Amino acid sequence: MTDHDDIDMLAAEYVLGTLDAEERAEVARRRQQDADLDARILAWEARLAPLGDEIEAIAPGPDLLARIERRIDELETTARTPPEPEGDTDGTAQVIALRRRLGFWRGCTGLATAAALILAVVLIAPLDDRSDASPFVAIFQQDDQQPAFMLSVDLDSRRLSVQPVTAEPLPDRSYQLWIKADALGPKPRSVGVLNDDLSLPADALSDYDPELLKRATFGISIEPPGGSPTGQPTGPAIHGYLYPTDRDPASQHL
Amino acid sequence: MADASRRSAPQREAGSSASSAAGDRLHDLLRRIAQRDRRAFTQLYEATSAKLYGTVLRILKERGRADDVVQEVYVTIWQKSAQFDTQRASPIAWMVAIARHAAIDELRRRPRAPHEPEEALAHTPADGPSAREHLEHEQDARRLHACLEALEAERRDMVRLAYLDGWSRADLATHFEQPVNTVKTWLHRALKQLKGCLAP
Repeated sequence: MTDHDDIDMLAAEYVLGTLDAEERAEVARRRQQDADLDARILAWEARLAPLGDEIEAIAPGPDLLARIERRIDELETTARTPPEPEGDTDGTAQVIALRRRLGFWRGCTGLATAAALILAVVLIAPLDDRSDASPFVAIFQQDDQQPAFMLSVDLDSRRLSVQPVTAEPLPDRSYQLWIKADALGPKPRSVGVLNDDLSLPADALSDYDPELLKRATFGISIEPPGGSPTGQPTGPAIHGYLYPTDRDPASQHL
Repeated sequence: MADASRRSAPQREAGSSASSAAGDRLHDLLRRIAQRDRRAFTQLYEATSAKLYGTVLRILKERGRADDVVQEVYVTIWQKSAQFDTQRASPIAWMVAIARHAAIDELRRRPRAPHEPEEALAHTPADGPSAREHLEHEQDARRLHACLEALEAERRDMVRLAYLDGWSRADLATHFEQPVNTVKTWLHRALKQLKGCLAP
């Protein structure tokens, strides 16, 4: 009974908007798996919706529709890239979803092409029903949009795993993983230099708060052996924004 | 409080059947958008952007931030239109929920400067054209407002400031000069009271 009350109040406060960022993120994640919580959220949304009647309708600026349409164009263009033949179905679907985000992401930054740079778009998906699924992160090579690395991060344990997809060890060069987040200031921070087998220690992110990780962007740059001599990526700065992937099958409608 | 005028809003009668026709139209547009119909998307934007923009701007108070969030919101609507389920929510309620959550998430990520509570509460008036836009049927709106009226004034203000202006527990605690836990308790009591009052 008390549990139900608690869940109902969690749903109510989520809808009301009074939870803090971490709690909100947790509820948003949990409702994907918890039908009861999701139903309670919808019930509270229906209950409180008339409060919004009094909100003054305000027309957005005339340019906004064009901005939105441009983004959708980018999304759609990227989505038409045929999927990888290899990989399991689920992974392929994820890759497509990630690609779409990459187009989306690119559109908002206008980042210059730099062949040596590998762009990273980081996506942490809600946990699947499958117990072995972990929140998902992918990294894309910018020039050909083939994933160079896939990175998965388990937010609870803050463990990461890097898997090369098309990336291969380079003679006399090292790959270096960076993290960037508002809370860390304007510059990327090094997470670590990848080992010769392109792996990283699983605990490389253990010092970071999960909430920060969720909003962070990751990048990989190609550096001199042993990593960047300057403490910053030696290519252009890497920026990005985090989007959760869609877990539902509907997201695969392309 | 100056709220009384809002509740009696006579235009609800006129708006009721019109709003369900509008709901059908939005539903139809969402169905077409799910099939990647860009013209339907433009029509949906034209029909709903003032509502969503007003909702987001009220929470964020800055046009630049509201632009960014509303942009994300419509991209989300484009992407998730196939997931819209008419059994679970009305089209406009579904879209407003996406917009409110996006605005509140943005606000929690980067809180704005200290609030001007007087100004926020002064937004109360309701007899604009927007009052004709109903998220729910007239009956639901009347019942909610009657139930809100039954709350203690401070708790009613808390609910409104949170829902409409995106205030966090901490914001409310500062303004009402109460510990955060007290605010939480009050909110829970207010919400439970509302739920009980609205129960059939």
